[in-house]
Amino acid sequence: MKFKCNETLPERAIHIALKGPDGGCQRGDGSGCFVASNTATTPGDMTERGCTYAGCRGVVGGPVKDVIQLTHGPIGCAFFSWGYRPHLADSDFHMKYTFVSDMNETNIVFGGEKKLLQCIIEANREFPEARGVFIYNTCSTALIGDDGRDVAKQAEELIGKPVVFFECEGFRGVSQSMGHHVGNETIFRHLVGSVEPEGDFSRSINIIGDYNIKNDLRTFEYLFEALGIKILTRFTGNVSVEDLKIMHKAALNVVHCQRSATYIAEMMRDKYGTPYIDVTLWGIKHMSQALRDTAAFFGLEAEAEEVIAREVAAIQPRIEYYRQRLSGKTVFIYQGGPRAWHWIELLRELGMETMTAATTFGHDDDYQKIFRQLKEGALVVDNPNVPEIEEILHERRPDLFISGNKERYLAYKLGVPFVNGHTYDTGPYAGFVGMVNFARDIDKALHAPIWQTLRQRARPAPPEHHSPHGFEEVV
Amino acid sequence: MRQVAFYGKGGIGKSTTQQNIAAALASMGKKVMVVGCDPKADCTRLLLGGVRQPSVLDTLRDFGAEKVNLDRVMVPGYATVKCVESGGPEPGVGCGGRGVITAIQTLESLGAYNDDLDYVFYDVLGDVVCGGFAMPIREGYAEEIYIVCSGEYMALFAANNICKGIKKFAERGYARLGGLICNSRLVENERALVEEFARRLNSRMIHFVPRSKDVQRAEINKKTVIDYDPGLPQAEEYRELARKIDANTEFTIPTPITQDELEDLMREYGIVD
Repeated sequence: MKFKCNETLPERAIHIALKGPDGGCQRGDGSGCFVASNTATTPGDMTERGCTYAGCRGVVGGPVKDVIQLTHGPIGCAFFSWGYRPHLADSDFHMKYTFVSDMNETNIVFGGEKKLLQCIIEANREFPEARGVFIYNTCSTALIGDDGRDVAKQAEELIGKPVVFFECEGFRGVSQSMGHHVGNETIFRHLVGSVEPEGDFSRSINIIGDYNIKNDLRTFEYLFEALGIKILTRFTGNVSVEDLKIMHKAALNVVHCQRSATYIAEMMRDKYGTPYIDVTLWGIKHMSQALRDTAAFFGLEAEAEEVIAREVAAIQPRIEYYRQRLSGKTVFIYQGGPRAWHWIELLRELGMETMTAATTFGHDDDYQKIFRQLKEGALVVDNPNVPEIEEILHERRPDLFISGNKERYLAYKLGVPFVNGHTYDTGPYAGFVGMVNFARDIDKALHAPIWQTLRQRARPAPPEHHSPHGFEEVV
Repeated sequence: MRQVAFYGKGGIGKSTTQQNIAAALASMGKKVMVVGCDPKADCTRLLLGGVRQPSVLDTLRDFGAEKVNLDRVMVPGYATVKCVESGGPEPGVGCGGRGVITAIQTLESLGAYNDDLDYVFYDVLGDVVCGGFAMPIREGYAEEIYIVCSGEYMALFAANNICKGIKKFAERGYARLGGLICNSRLVENERALVEEFARRLNSRMIHFVPRSKDVQRAEINKKTVIDYDPGLPQAEEYRELARKIDANTEFTIPTPITQDELEDLMREYGIVD
């Protein structure tokens, strides 16, 4: 499998593979080795990767709802990290404000520690309702050696609230993935287990690695609660600092995003002996399995079956309706990491087949999970760049492209129906009820009247530019 | 306008030598500007009679970029030598290297470099620890470099390291080594050692400045030797050095030696057993 756009970038070959007829891997360089991932980007590659700061501030730390989210760096770092992810919470404070130490030339020359301390004090004075401060370090302040840890310690004594310093300098690591790791480690080291609450936690779990995108949590929290299980802490969707401090008390960790949050589950297992299970909370089969696995841990199998039967029965007619409209369609999924493999089964339940799967920062385990589930002839691409995405849309002609808003207009221009998987079109998409939303959005994208209008009104394109995307089977 | 940078191990007498050369050139009627590129801001003290002038970066920080002008940051010293200090952060914080870059760029935008000047001197701290401290020898700035050293091992070691930096820039087509200035520390066989060391670096020892108590005396009086008493023999040494620099046409790309070679050289000249 070779891309035309990669003629001048042969290094990309090892990141691209087809699933062969025998289930083997046919990699772009002609070898049978597995697709390479989590490696440094080749110069010349128009990668869409973010930085370690983005992964820490944007993904793991950002959703914590009652802290001052303070970027220690130039003003631009703050802007480009804020407001891009709808990790909602039941708090007026959350996502409304962002804070930055606004490092300028003289701050860089003379050091930014004093200014950072002033920022913390000032922000805390203006927003006394905040329950803590998260500080995210950036490239420039790391290079001049500002001792943020020490500032955080001083500030903690001054304001009497937790002040957590994340060493998530943008230049560390190969992608935002390193930022997830830093976020996990720092929260674990600084907050988890810092208070010992009284009470019975024997039937409590933590949901690890769900960031409450468009209120995803609401689609499955009640399912666990229906089993009689208490959700202690959500890491980190709709979570407060107090919740993070006591999360070590939970009996079980249920890990959803296995790229950005397995780290903390492993650290809790090693330090507190808390077991964890990997789950997928999207789609009927996976959601049911997640409930069964969790229930099995607590001996609540019968209750789980009851809940599953009730919930599935409630959505089945609507899923069936969409299944008939969507059956036989092919999909190209391109997500940050695990969603690319979380959704392959969900789409099958809707009668659709994933023929291309790609992630921005997936590691080997993510690609193993993708590869295992795909059919033969399917394509896997690690860290695809813009020309590659364009070529996939042209050459493989998926009926549907599920990606993020960055790619939305590229897809539209090429006449490919598109659903925003990163932050959802009209979410939430998780759980049983969320799947109906997902199916509805896919249906809306595929059967939008615009495709019919375009076919009727658009000037005929030259044959080599013609694409049948979305034009058939218009009801 | 000749732009000249002085490098050398910390404490070797770089600033003293540089200021005495500036004073000597000025006394010969040359127009000189000294730009101190050391966060400690002590490169113009002797020319200014001990007056601490506001540094470029302090002014930038305290008053803002729009308030920085040459009247504030450029102070005339002995024989109208124009004195500028880049300044920088306290030890252990911030980024002194970035400070040097910012200060020199600020001076440039203020028009400090003009054709009336015969010489611009850059006095740069100790080793070239990062890119910022190499700013004075980037393209468009100092084209000739003098390394102040003595016959002590660590001074030669530092000089050799500085040459590695100069070589990198020299290979890009600018910055050349003008020679080594030996500021004597009364080390045995010092002159021969430094001469040989300079030869191996593809350069030469441009002058041997003998040890003299008069330097110390002048310094306590916050003056250069030239200013303190131009009749002293040491003043004549500095004038001689200044004349040599003024007449210098031998600029080379240095060839730094290995540490083993340097150690062998020390042994050969009988300093180390």
